[in-house]
Amino acid sequence: MSPRVVRTRVEFEGEINDELSIIDGRDLPAWRGALDVVGARTPRVDGVARVTGRARYTQDVVLPGMLHARFLRSPYARARVLKVDASRALAIPGVHDVIHRTNAPKAAFRGEETIFRDEVRFAGDEVAAVAAVSDEALRDALRALVVEYEVLPHVADLEEALRDDAPRLEEKGNVSDSGKQDRGDVRKALAQCEHVLEATYRTSTQLHNCLESHSAVAHWDGDRLTVWESTQHVFGVREGLRAALRLPLSRIRVLCEHMGGGFGSKGGVGKYTIAASILAMRTGRPVRFVLDREEENLAAGNRSATLQKVRIGLRRGRIHAILHSSWSNAGQGRWVADPTGPTNSLYDLPDLKTRSYRVVTNAGSLSAFRAPGYVEGTFALESAIEELADRAGIDPLQLRLRHLAKKDPLSGYAYSDKRLRECYEIGAREIGWKARKRGGAPGSTPDRRRGIGMASQIWGGGGGPPAYATVHLNPDGTVVARCGSQDIGTGTRTVLAQICAQELGVDVDAVRVELGDTDSPYGPTSAGSLTVASVGPAMRAAAADARAQLLGTAAGILEVTAKELRVERGHIVSKGTRTPIKEIFDQLQNYTVIGKGSRFPNPERIAIKTFGAQFAQVEVDLGTGEIFVEHIVAVHDIGRVVNPLTAASQVQGGIVQALGFALTEERVVDRGTGRVLNADLEAYKVPTVRDVPRITVRFLDTPDRRANSTGAKGLGEPPMIPTAAAVANAVANATGVPMRATPMTPARVLAALGAR
Amino acid sequence: MKPFALARPATLAEARRLAREATPLAGGTDLLGLMKAGVAAPPRLVDLTGVGALRGLRRERGRGLRIGALVRLAELEEAKDAPQVLREAASLAATPQLRATGTVGGNLLQRNRCWYFRDEAFPCWLKGGARCFARHGENRYHSILGVEACVAAAPSDLAPALIALDARAALVGPRASRTVAVADLYQAPREGVRDEHTLRPAEIVTEVRVPEASLARRGVYLKQMERKTWAFALVSVAAAARVHGGQVTDVRLVLGGAAPLPWRAREAERVAEGTALDERVAAAAGEAAVAGAQPLEHNAYKIVLARELVRRALLRLVT
Repeated sequence: MSPRVVRTRVEFEGEINDELSIIDGRDLPAWRGALDVVGARTPRVDGVARVTGRARYTQDVVLPGMLHARFLRSPYARARVLKVDASRALAIPGVHDVIHRTNAPKAAFRGEETIFRDEVRFAGDEVAAVAAVSDEALRDALRALVVEYEVLPHVADLEEALRDDAPRLEEKGNVSDSGKQDRGDVRKALAQCEHVLEATYRTSTQLHNCLESHSAVAHWDGDRLTVWESTQHVFGVREGLRAALRLPLSRIRVLCEHMGGGFGSKGGVGKYTIAASILAMRTGRPVRFVLDREEENLAAGNRSATLQKVRIGLRRGRIHAILHSSWSNAGQGRWVADPTGPTNSLYDLPDLKTRSYRVVTNAGSLSAFRAPGYVEGTFALESAIEELADRAGIDPLQLRLRHLAKKDPLSGYAYSDKRLRECYEIGAREIGWKARKRGGAPGSTPDRRRGIGMASQIWGGGGGPPAYATVHLNPDGTVVARCGSQDIGTGTRTVLAQICAQELGVDVDAVRVELGDTDSPYGPTSAGSLTVASVGPAMRAAAADARAQLLGTAAGILEVTAKELRVERGHIVSKGTRTPIKEIFDQLQNYTVIGKGSRFPNPERIAIKTFGAQFAQVEVDLGTGEIFVEHIVAVHDIGRVVNPLTAASQVQGGIVQALGFALTEERVVDRGTGRVLNADLEAYKVPTVRDVPRITVRFLDTPDRRANSTGAKGLGEPPMIPTAAAVANAVANATGVPMRATPMTPARVLAALGAR
Repeated sequence: MKPFALARPATLAEARRLAREATPLAGGTDLLGLMKAGVAAPPRLVDLTGVGALRGLRRERGRGLRIGALVRLAELEEAKDAPQVLREAASLAATPQLRATGTVGGNLLQRNRCWYFRDEAFPCWLKGGARCFARHGENRYHSILGVEACVAAAPSDLAPALIALDARAALVGPRASRTVAVADLYQAPREGVRDEHTLRPAEIVTEVRVPEASLARRGVYLKQMERKTWAFALVSVAAAARVHGGQVTDVRLVLGGAAPLPWRAREAERVAEGTALDERVAAAAGEAAVAGAQPLEHNAYKIVLARELVRRALLRLVT
């Protein structure tokens, strides 16, 4: 069969796109029956390398003659750069190069022609880049750069940017449409309701704070550019460099063997990558460009702050209508993640109107952040539903069950699989939902009240093409599997080794997975919870191809037909005889089996989603406003679980990050200057180990055989989505007061209690 | 960070001489951060950690508890001879790593945490500038009591506890030595006095002493944070008193995080003094503690916290 082109639906970060896909051959049928390698608790194949320091991250790359580079960043939230005088900086010993607006080559970056704009648009925007032999020389050089600015009026705060008298940052104003959905007649439906809840929700800007900061090391040998980058998408970085530097793809190689987290913020090429490459090409020396923690928190992305207004009405025990509008602080970003996504797709709601707006401000740009939009939107939606149910005296879980969607409300398609009801049942049992009372329960001290709350999760995670893999079978029976995907820290390398080993019939230990190299077959971005569902089937197909070739070869050597043979734990098995793969190859010298596989299209007219529910038990100190999260129960429906160990880690990590969003994390910006006041890890508060409660993780672990050949869906983002809403609902249950803003600090809880 | 000269004396006499022209450095957990941020740029540092005379924590018969300025917070936290209120305060400060490095002297003399003060880009009043950016800016962590020209809040956990114990600090200067009440190490920055501390030029804190009489007091330290650990106090309170025959005397109530200096809540002390502490008295003392509070735009919640922590701390003294 020759390759053919088909159209397929792929969901990415809440957006569904029709994409062209090339398919070659026939997809494998979904796995049936019991599997022994896939589904087994498997420690990370690179765990020892990571904890012993042997694993090489971008920041560990040291090359002979390497220079260090940093940006000079704007101290102003908005200003025109009139002049950059680098003469004093260049006179400092050890300083090799300075590039800025007037001397840097054109380099396309996100729709603009240069990485240094004439108008800087947030405090921290890039003005110039310096390369020097040491960090000390660099810092001296940055202080010696003389820049003349014409300061312009700015606005950094979301709600200030909405006001009529705010400085206009774009020709069409500060607000632009970024999503809408209409179903039925909301105005009429609301008028018929017996209970209507009208509420305003606010979420704060959350910063990614990856353990490893954004960084790149660029090496130019006069012909080829090699870039080591801490990235979620080596191919994306390669494409970004191609566009910026106008080099052919064959002369750019991007590498990311290990990385220390991305959470959405490392989706493509950065200004620092381009600057490092330009500086390397200009100086003829390798250039290392590492952002420090402050720069991470000024200019490396964030989860937008949102303002959300919800009107939701109940009639005859059912949600009759919902109106949900959201404004997101995009900073200088060109898009926003849509917080109304869950409202549009989670429940069967006949009358619905949602609007989403992007608000531009003089603040650092948003970037994707683990379930962008859905974390913020679920907080509003699921808080509103629980409050409405309580007001009407309906059990909030029962109200949700009344609106369980039987098909995807957006497309009208049936689901490939959906087990949300079972998630509810398991979670409710684990948390003791039956004992929930309106108004909560006494706490462990007279000052405290206890409450429980819940929230639902919907997300994509179905993945799709393109994704490719190759499987090289060595003469000794070991395997090198390759894919241009990357391990963002979730255990991709381990999970792909399991899938390869399962299909091929070898032990996991025999498989080495090579990731993070654009000289490998294409792998998609490690984002959108799509890696396992996209790359997994490609890896399985490559292993199946290698196995078929191996069996054909073995059949010839053993003088039987291939049909009589199978591969089992590194052996060719035939009617009771077991021959190690190595022995087959011993007779063939350096014969190499190269299997290749690709991801096939998604099934037509089917909606592939992940679902889940989380339940929270909290205590609240009514005197101090302090929240004590005691227990989170997380139940997620993600199809087959390839590795229960790394999957549980994913859920725990997502919940901890969500607890930060819910309770402690908030970027604070000075309105007068637009400067971030807490761009360090002391003042910006991520959860500590003491902030982490007991977490119970459950999976339904039922293969979604219609989704793809592995039956597995994504898990990166789902666990982060419902936590904040579940905690807020538990706090509301404990105190009798709704919590409508994150993070729920003592100050906010006391304010809510005081307003009772 | 600007280059600097570092001297490492082994004796107090040498340190004293060097300190005339250099900034003392102990654990460095505060000073180095200020230097990296570009807020402090001392050309010379004198590292005190080699001076043995500044070490050691011991009970001295009749003379109370002597705590060397170089005693680490982690040592204080574990010291069985130290009063409970002080150990609690030490244990609630920072993180295990920081407590293993930070010293008693350094904790008492750390600069405030105001984010405008700590950002080189803001020429704030305390740094010699013309205005206080926090007064009408982002001031959720700032003071509700005792504000003059600067609204930053006193950050130390140890200071309220030591003041509640009437502790005294020994200082050596270039020519003279003196002892002062720990409370007198602090002042509200005001016109002509752009500093949170009262040390004279080149003075070094050598030790802190908890008087014998205070060791008989019961004490408690409560600290409200924004996360469960590793955070400065939104508000903290150190309470200490003699509890005898159902009556409390020598009541001390000292707030942290609420004023530009560790704040003696004297009205609240008077309300509680000599009473058999009960719910009613504790609540009244809580009210008295915040009677003069003047919140800024974003920190009124601290009034609620201070009132509540004072009430709870007093009740804990008698339960």
